[in-house]
Amino acid sequence: MIKVKHLKKVFRTPGGDELTVLRDINCDIEKGEVVSVIGPSGTGKSTLLRCLNRLEEPTSGVIEVDGTDILDRGTDINLIRRKMGMVFQNFNLFEHLTILDNLTLCPMTLLGKKRAEAEERGMELLGMVGLHDKAGCLPGELSGGQKQRAAIARCLAMEPEIILFDEPTSALDPTMVSEVLAVIRHLANQGMTMCIVSHEMQFVRDVSTRILFLNDGIVYEEGTPEQIFENPRKPATRAFINRIRSLESVFENRYFDLYGLFGKIHTFCSKYGLGTKVTDKVEHITEEMLCGIMPFGSPVKMTLEYSEKTSGITMTFREENTEGCILDATGEDSLSLMMVRGMSSSVTEPEKGTVFIEIQG
Amino acid sequence: MRKWSFILIAAMLWLVSCTGRKVHDLSGVKGVEDLRGYRVAVSMGSSYDLMLSEIDGVDVIRLGVGELLVAVEKGRADFCIIDQIQARMLNLESRGLEIKFNNILKGTACAGFRKDDSLLCSRFNGYLRDAKSSGEYDRWLNEWKTASDSMADASLLVHRHEKQSGRRSLHVGITITYPYLFLKENNLTGIEVDMFNRFCDAAGYSVDYEIYDFSALIPALNSGKIDVILSHMRRTEERARQVLFSDPYVEGGGAAVCRSNDGIGMTERAGLWDRIKESFKNNLVVEQRWKLMADGLWVTIQISVLSLLAAVMAGVLMCRMRMSRKRVVSSPMGIVIDLLRGIPLLVILMIMFYVIFASSRITGTWVTVMSFGLYYGAYFSEVFRTGMESVDRGQWEAGFALGLGKFQTFSKVVLPQAMNRIIPVLKGEVIALIKMTSVVGYVAVVDLTKASDIIRARTLDAFFPLILVSVVYIVLSWLTGSGLKALERQLTPKSRDL
Repeated sequence: MIKVKHLKKVFRTPGGDELTVLRDINCDIEKGEVVSVIGPSGTGKSTLLRCLNRLEEPTSGVIEVDGTDILDRGTDINLIRRKMGMVFQNFNLFEHLTILDNLTLCPMTLLGKKRAEAEERGMELLGMVGLHDKAGCLPGELSGGQKQRAAIARCLAMEPEIILFDEPTSALDPTMVSEVLAVIRHLANQGMTMCIVSHEMQFVRDVSTRILFLNDGIVYEEGTPEQIFENPRKPATRAFINRIRSLESVFENRYFDLYGLFGKIHTFCSKYGLGTKVTDKVEHITEEMLCGIMPFGSPVKMTLEYSEKTSGITMTFREENTEGCILDATGEDSLSLMMVRGMSSSVTEPEKGTVFIEIQG
Repeated sequence: MRKWSFILIAAMLWLVSCTGRKVHDLSGVKGVEDLRGYRVAVSMGSSYDLMLSEIDGVDVIRLGVGELLVAVEKGRADFCIIDQIQARMLNLESRGLEIKFNNILKGTACAGFRKDDSLLCSRFNGYLRDAKSSGEYDRWLNEWKTASDSMADASLLVHRHEKQSGRRSLHVGITITYPYLFLKENNLTGIEVDMFNRFCDAAGYSVDYEIYDFSALIPALNSGKIDVILSHMRRTEERARQVLFSDPYVEGGGAAVCRSNDGIGMTERAGLWDRIKESFKNNLVVEQRWKLMADGLWVTIQISVLSLLAAVMAGVLMCRMRMSRKRVVSSPMGIVIDLLRGIPLLVILMIMFYVIFASSRITGTWVTVMSFGLYYGAYFSEVFRTGMESVDRGQWEAGFALGLGKFQTFSKVVLPQAMNRIIPVLKGEVIALIKMTSVVGYVAVVDLTKASDIIRARTLDAFFPLILVSVVYIVLSWLTGSGLKALERQLTPKSRDL
């Protein structure tokens, strides 16, 4: 139904700099699919969605809707947009109209419906999203969740073939998220074609038929919810799915600022809510590794990672140009190594020069 | 706070009361030279003004014609100088005033022509010569001189001039000067009008009279707005440098008017209610002067409505250009708007009338509408802009995303919301516009304010016409304000029961 080829979007900042948000996007959406777009913030998920109905003008590339190139000058984008509903983060209900009038304005103006007919369909849709008794209210009198449900009903009033959801729950109070998600779920069950940008991972996993993981301006990984959530193939996907936070440092030689490093570790741990016990372990392991075990034949890179999902902590110490295996060279009877083993659940050296340590949170 | 404002008001009242002046001993004053040391009120730009300014020690205050007698009555000036024929005809005793001496700057009035228009001037002179030699001139001048004080038959005396097509139309600038040029029952009449109508008939011209301030006559002549000055103007060296004067036609001179010895006029002796009744009669009923006021009001309404339309159109256009994404369009428009808002409206009006449209025959009304349209357009455009910008960008996007075109989104989604924010701000500007139309007298438009000026120049009563005009403006503002308020209520979104 929608085909995107080599889509590129460059923003020009007020300072005159160029900011490439989408580098080369290739994807398609078939009828009946629920495609979710996920990825770290700032990777252009919303921009991609807004390019699909040309609220943003793409810099280059091709977008075809039912075989029509919508970027072509001759294409009447307004006709395309009628078939593509959009639900916004900030609802964007028409503030001067009642909820029912919000639903009837466009069908009456664009589809030539009679008022009675449009209102009948409007009330039906409001009933579906549970707002039958709010039809005469102004948007200002509704809660955020109710507004978003009304906005979804407004899209449906145009009988669209696809609905684009642009972070539909991001602006909502946590207590109101579920009522909106329930409506979207209902639509998915009815077979509505949808493209969703969302940060609600559990919801995305449940409702989608396919997931696009956007990173660095491209579709970095794509697959079914199971593939993406259970078995991500690429490191950035994995880091994102497991919500991995990391701290990286590079040390030129043994004479580094140990207490400065402790300070950084302390800040990192407290930021992600790790207890004093775990923090102490991380600090001790760091000290033993850097002051005892690592030979410092060349600069050492330390990476501390914490997965919010599994609560597991991993530490990696890596040194280039090492002669042989570091753990073998240290020897199992080394006091430092014994202490490190005592504090962690596993210490391995999967490749020469890289020591991998896991700690249970 | 309240205590301080009370003290402030008391201080202001005290200051106002101090502006009244003690009546001096005036018995020794016999001529112009004796006016040294006294305060004398004259009409601004008149020949008396020029003369007295040359005499050291005379405290000259320059007022409009309508305020001169009032200034003396209220003691703000010791003397005022008005035309002696006019002074004789006014019922001065009833106001507690008297003529101290006559024949100030005794001289004769001339018509003024443009320097390069000597043909017209010589034709006029030729007509005067013929009329004088045939005795016709003396006959009609006598009719005027022997006419009754109230000039009851003035409208019968004046030579009726019928407009005929195909003739060159002369634009004649006049200042209301009783009894030479004045309005009676809303018709222009007077000695000079009579004479000039006769001339035009004899020489084959059509004539259009336009009412100007005396001080604006010479600029209007030289910028081509008018062809002739006919305003009981005396020839002075200074004026002769800019104006080609005709042979003199009527004699005249000034009279110095002061308070009479008993100091209290009949009107002051009468009760307040009687005074108001008298004023009402004098300013509105006599000679059907209310018609002048009614016409003036109609002109004010016309100008206000047309200017408002022009300003809205200009405002929309300017706002559109100002909000353009193209820098070449938006930034020059920003400068234009700042310029227009930086110049006083009256100055814009004068520049438009005397400079930009100087040589065109476009009437003051249209120049006014254009100037007001530009000036208030600049203000409106900024109001529109803030109104438009106050509507969230998301409203546009929601309209677009549903398939509405640019114009549909604007008219059905953005404009109704912007209007809610524009109307309350605009209300003040619209009322300001209506009140500001009172300056159009400067470009020869007889609006409500100018009509009251003309009546004041005739009745020399400042109080009643000014209060009346204020009341009319208040009513106009109130009506406009409540109309816009109703519109505002209409536009406020309301929830409904379904």
